[in-house]
Amino acid sequence: MIKADNLKKRYGNIAAVDDVSFAVEKGETFGLLGPNGAGKTTTIQLLCGLLKPDGGTVSLDGKTDPSLVEVRSSLGVVPQALAIYEELSVRQNLRFFGRMYGLSGRQLNERVDDCLEIAGLNKRSNDRASKYSGGMKRRLNMVCSFLHAPPLLLLDEPTVGVDPQSRNLIFDTIETMKNQGRTIIYTTHYMEEAQRLCDRVAILDHGKILDMDSVDNLIKKHGGPSRIEAEFEKLPSPDSIKQYIDSENIQFEESKIRFETSRPMESLAMLNRSGVRFNTLKVQTANLEDVFLNLTGRRLRD
Amino acid sequence: MKKLLFLAVKDMRVLLSDKGNIFWVFGFPVLFALFFGFMYSEAGKGPSGMKIAVVDEDKSEFSSSYISGLESDEALIVVNLNREEAIEQVRKGKVSAAVILNEGFGDGFEALFNSDEPKLEIASDPSRRMESGYLQGLLAKAQFEALGDKFADQEWLRGQIKLWRDEVGGSNALETEQSKLFLNFFDSFDTLIKDSNDGSFSAGFKGDMINFGKLDVSREYEGPISPFQITFPQVLLWGFLMCTSTFAISIVKERTDGTFDRLRIGPLGYAHILGGKGLACFITCIFIVCILFFGAKVIFKMPMGNFPLFFLGLFCTILCFVGLMMFVCTLGRTEQSVGAAGWAMLMIMGMFGGAMMPLAFMPSWLRRFSHFSPVKWGILALEGAIWRDFKFTEMISPCLVLLAIGFTFFLLGVLMLRRQDS
Ligand SMILES: Nc1ncnc2c1ncn2[C@@H]1O[C@H](COP(=O)(O)OP(=O)(O)OP(=O)(O)O)[C@@H](O)[C@H]1O
Ligand SMILES: [Mg+2]
Repeated sequence: MIKADNLKKRYGNIAAVDDVSFAVEKGETFGLLGPNGAGKTTTIQLLCGLLKPDGGTVSLDGKTDPSLVEVRSSLGVVPQALAIYEELSVRQNLRFFGRMYGLSGRQLNERVDDCLEIAGLNKRSNDRASKYSGGMKRRLNMVCSFLHAPPLLLLDEPTVGVDPQSRNLIFDTIETMKNQGRTIIYTTHYMEEAQRLCDRVAILDHGKILDMDSVDNLIKKHGGPSRIEAEFEKLPSPDSIKQYIDSENIQFEESKIRFETSRPMESLAMLNRSGVRFNTLKVQTANLEDVFLNLTGRRLRD
Repeated sequence: MKKLLFLAVKDMRVLLSDKGNIFWVFGFPVLFALFFGFMYSEAGKGPSGMKIAVVDEDKSEFSSSYISGLESDEALIVVNLNREEAIEQVRKGKVSAAVILNEGFGDGFEALFNSDEPKLEIASDPSRRMESGYLQGLLAKAQFEALGDKFADQEWLRGQIKLWRDEVGGSNALETEQSKLFLNFFDSFDTLIKDSNDGSFSAGFKGDMINFGKLDVSREYEGPISPFQITFPQVLLWGFLMCTSTFAISIVKERTDGTFDRLRIGPLGYAHILGGKGLACFITCIFIVCILFFGAKVIFKMPMGNFPLFFLGLFCTILCFVGLMMFVCTLGRTEQSVGAAGWAMLMIMGMFGGAMMPLAFMPSWLRRFSHFSPVKWGILALEGAIWRDFKFTEMISPCLVLLAIGFTFFLLGVLMLRRQDS
């Protein structure tokens, strides 16, 4: 569906995008996860033809120049920065962008109503956009790109600065889009979002893709062991515990034990079968944050 | 094409959503029109209703016809007094000046100008020099009218004109403005007399004299009949300048707000987006014209020379400013910087182009700069159609200059925008 080959873009001394390659299949949701300045926005801008790459190519369904109007029309891009007319009403915004995509008449009205519905903005659709809250503006910003029902969506951090309610609404929308079979590229620096929404994730840092796979595989490869903390009614002898648990380093502390393992479920099942009684159990499996930490030595958000 | 229209409609909606914009684009030119319209109309009339005292010590047939000439002048309110009373009134500031017709005033023209003893005296308040200068002009006019007979003698007349020229030129009681007025008057008068030497007017101006005198004085600005004919093109140009800078800023705003990029990602080319802006700017300019034209026509009864040529001039002028807008929007990266840079550039163009002060009132060295200002050419094209009685062929050069300037700026602007975006 969309393919990036060795994309490069420099700003002066900064390599904003440095030899990035990936391919996204039809119907897939692909995440670009990286901290501030990783090059996510730049990558999106290269994909949609807003920027010309210094090197490499983008191909959209086999066509290689996204700056051509015909090629771009299958794209829906939700920019990171709000790009709406605050002076116009929400409905006027949608109608205007719809018209720019060649919609008119009943089709336009229907699409506008659909998008208002999706964004949950139909109640106050005649108010000026400037009177809306930040989260509402974000939702409007998002649905402005859905009007022409594009098969390929590029979403650049659509949840930045949004309250949990708006965020959930945005997630639901994206999941709906996903279920409709649309191809989605989603950038974020929230690992929870990537974990929840994306079939595959590319970890991006300093313009480079460090690794790219499904979330589970990434965690398996780079996540490191899970951390388990268990409290027992009565602490069994350390030797018997060591028998069941696949871990080098077990800490004992009163009636608690703490350990790290790459096979948490098996260890716990064994313990359970041995007849010990748990008071509390805490399992902290590795996540994309750990993946990032292990790949870069830094946290996603500093 | 439809998309262009929708783009333009959107831009106008955005423009009209801001009261500040509405004021600067529509209100400001109207205020400007009113202010300068009234100012020039006052300047054209001179101080109106100037009160003067007249002392008739000659008591001849000629002096009384002279006085009734003064009384019939709308610019004057004449009271008849004796010498002491009249001077007293001037001293108290109750009248602007006293005109004293000494004995012998009616003896004839030569007596009036050539005798050592002045037959006509003006007593005026030194603090009201401007009015007294103006009065001298009016008195001269009255003399022309009353002394029609003398004008049969062309040689004598031209001699007199030379004399008066020197007098007016050397008089520091006259403001430059007024003395220019009279010098012009004398010039045209002199030419007329010279032209009439071919024989067709061998009888001189006898009989026609009074008509002639009135005609020339009422045409003191050499053309426009109503002061609003001068201000109308200027005000239109101000409106266009405002419109240009407002839309230039709106392009930058779209660029900083990201809506420009959003449109670029959509199935729109560069040409479309900028074309839409241009169209919106064009339509807004037309609106400004409509509003101001309605006002000028209905409220001030401004006469219009030639409608088709007016439309031609308008069309070219507006296109020129649309091109200019495209350039102005590249002068900075933020709304503030474009606002400031654009305003400075347009102000200078406006000033040198005669949008503040008619070019005719400018010193000649300053006028030379005006060729570089599209405002000058716009005003020229519009004036050409409104009151300069331009023929189509005379319209061609300002119109071509306007289109060339507009096209050049448009091209420059688009090239610079593209460079900034790559
Ligand atoms: N127009 C520009 N001029 C100069 N440098 C730029 C420009 N745009 C981006 N950069 C640089 O390129 C790098 C990547 O920026 P980019 O905006 O792609 O990051 P990002 O991953 O989207 O970050 P964020 O999460 O903060 O949005 C950054 O170091 C940034 O400073
Ligand atoms: Mg970004």
